[in-house]
Amino acid sequence: MLFNSLTFVVFFTVVVAAYWSMRSWTLRKNLLVVASYIFYGAWNPPFAALLFTTTAMDFWLGARIARAKGHHAKKVWLVASVAMNLSMLGFFKYGNFLLENFQWLMARVGVIYQPPHLDILLPVGISFYTFHSLSYTLDVHRGVMQPTKSLRDFVLAVSFFPQLVAGPIVRAGDFLPQLLAPPKPQTGRFLWGLALMTLGLFEKVVLADTMLAGSADTVFGYAGPLVALDSWMGVIAFAGQIFFDFAGYSTCAIGAALCLGFHLKDNFRFPYAAIGFSDFWRRWHISLSTFLRDYLYFPLGGNRVGWARASINLVIVMFLGGLWHGAAWTFVVWGLLHGFYLVIEHVLRAFLGNKTWTDSLAMKVLLGLLTYAAVCLAWVFFRASDFATATRMLQGMFGGHPRGDAILATREMLQIGGVTFFMMLAHWSLRDISIEQAVERLPRWLVTTVWAVMACAIILTQGSSNAFIYFQF
Amino acid sequence: MTVIVVLMILAAAAAWEIYVRSIGYAPTLNDNEDLWTMARRRVTPESVVIIGDSRAWFDLDLDELQKGLGKRPVQLGMKGSCAYPVLADLANDETFHGTIICSITARLFMAPPGSPPMDHSAKAVRRTRTQTPAQRASQYLAMPLEEHVAFLKQEELDLAQLLKGLPIPNRPGALVPPRFPPYFATVDRERRARMIEQCADANGELARRIQQIWIPLFTPPPPPTYIPRAEFGKQMGQAIEQRFRDVASAVAKLRARGGKIVFVSFPHSGGLKELEDRETPRAGIWERVLKDTAASGIHYEDYPELATFTCPEWSHLSAGDSVEFSKRLVPHLRAALQL
Repeated sequence: MLFNSLTFVVFFTVVVAAYWSMRSWTLRKNLLVVASYIFYGAWNPPFAALLFTTTAMDFWLGARIARAKGHHAKKVWLVASVAMNLSMLGFFKYGNFLLENFQWLMARVGVIYQPPHLDILLPVGISFYTFHSLSYTLDVHRGVMQPTKSLRDFVLAVSFFPQLVAGPIVRAGDFLPQLLAPPKPQTGRFLWGLALMTLGLFEKVVLADTMLAGSADTVFGYAGPLVALDSWMGVIAFAGQIFFDFAGYSTCAIGAALCLGFHLKDNFRFPYAAIGFSDFWRRWHISLSTFLRDYLYFPLGGNRVGWARASINLVIVMFLGGLWHGAAWTFVVWGLLHGFYLVIEHVLRAFLGNKTWTDSLAMKVLLGLLTYAAVCLAWVFFRASDFATATRMLQGMFGGHPRGDAILATREMLQIGGVTFFMMLAHWSLRDISIEQAVERLPRWLVTTVWAVMACAIILTQGSSNAFIYFQF
Repeated sequence: MTVIVVLMILAAAAAWEIYVRSIGYAPTLNDNEDLWTMARRRVTPESVVIIGDSRAWFDLDLDELQKGLGKRPVQLGMKGSCAYPVLADLANDETFHGTIICSITARLFMAPPGSPPMDHSAKAVRRTRTQTPAQRASQYLAMPLEEHVAFLKQEELDLAQLLKGLPIPNRPGALVPPRFPPYFATVDRERRARMIEQCADANGELARRIQQIWIPLFTPPPPPTYIPRAEFGKQMGQAIEQRFRDVASAVAKLRARGGKIVFVSFPHSGGLKELEDRETPRAGIWERVLKDTAASGIHYEDYPELATFTCPEWSHLSAGDSVEFSKRLVPHLRAALQL
């Protein structure tokens, strides 16, 4: 069920009303489990069984890890959990991709192999809930948390509907402690949750879908050469679209969780005001980047293993981060580009050291804009359906098609320019503070007006909106 | 603060509703893929099914057809769509052996794969297989609202459409698609479309505005700049031949199970008729489809009682005329279908 749907409005109203009217904490948690499975099953009921199977297996494996004597035995159970989760993800998400690449490899050595096309339906949000669940066994193994004794609590931690299908990737270690005692009803927290849901939906349905998505789709879907202006506009539109789409979902998720008394960590922190790529990944999809950092980069040795090895580690992490997003080499190139950016940045930092001239405001803004431009370049591979499209787009962006076609309406370019300008202004103004702090600084009448305007704009879109981009991951 | 926000939202929604009603809008359902899917689910093995473009959608009255054919037809026609994906869907539905009334508007019927008319139909057909329980529930929740609130009109009054309506000129040479006509029909739960009164006057402002929108929409777009002209012509020729073969194959499949089909060309008028007669003459596509499929066809121009109608906005009949047209069409349908 989509946040931007009438079904969700009714569903959420009923769940919130029932939840706060119940006195028993056990009943409330049971309600949330049932609601979460209804939320998930509303896409494709049989996949709810898959979700439960993954969860129950990790619950059991978590207990085995905790009970196992000795490092080796613990590791065996952890490997079982990782293998189970990744094979599930591999089958559903990468099955056809692996077969196609195997076919290609065979053809290179002269073997003609025609694999069957597996008609696999991708369970929505599998990349997210696999990581929710996996974080549990990983943390139990690392000794940072004790396994829970309650299967119901763990099922709720993995399937909690606000974050189930598109994040943030909430670690069991962050969520399970919140299930120990019932949250007290707080009007302020509830209203702030509603306000965040309004902001998230506004970002998604108004800014991403209404103002930007059409132009990005038009440009990336065009089969011919485009002039530089239209190519750049398409890429900038997508850069804004994917931010508002994904950050919008995360904001909605955080708001919905708050309405139920739970705290989820921020997933975005004004990323287009990042200065450098390390900074970007501290601000973009924070729950994924910290997941990869803690469970992959650090175990590989992090940056304690010397410059060359740390660079390789970075590239490995970003390669896998790219692949996590989708079963296509274009996503891998996107990840590798970010890996490459990070390595270059590390080299430059080592070379420049603590040069004071890099601290001037002008230099910060310049570096920030360079970061944004490089991120936009990488988005080309993320959005393009194949390398031919990506190549055509890059050629267009760098003046390779001076006699190419112009396909965007002036109105579309004004929308892209306007939204991007205000987005950048907001990101740079708020880069060092949180939304809560920003709202606290505003006069009450302005907050009220902005909230009402956002809600009216959402109503005006009439639900004629798309699914969230990150659902496909 | 929340109370003020709620009051502001309610006041803005009420003001907007009053305004859109004052400029001629009335509550009606949005004809989206979910409403189409609801109709598709009503198709039984022996149903009479209407498929094709908006002329079949506007011009056929379900009550009259029910009276004349003995069964209430299911309306699966769609505006701006190509009939082929729906025809193929019904032909491939092993349980279906009913009757199909298929509209042919040449440019839409022959629309190549990947073009908007094909995508429109293909998307609707796909929805019948991919619709989630949540989407189905949302459709049921939305219908009562749409039946009472005039501004809930996705194709005309949602934010994206309002922005598209801004009078901002485009760059010279920009390949921007033409606009679609504004609201001029109501749709009910059976997907029966009826032209609104304001549009039924051929000399009225709305009808005249829509007449001028059809011309660019029905004018063949220039060939793409990135494919040599000869190559593009060859590709189009191949696509057209493939469509003829696909339609014949679908009709044969349907007939093999005892199903029936009749093709219908609906009235169109004025400058649009001149354009269609010039660009897609009857001898080209209409005759070829009938020949390849060996199916019956009813071309409105062949029957004086059907040819007397005038389309106010050049492409569709008014709600009143659609009833009379359907009544007059029934004997021809019965004859063509050997009922």
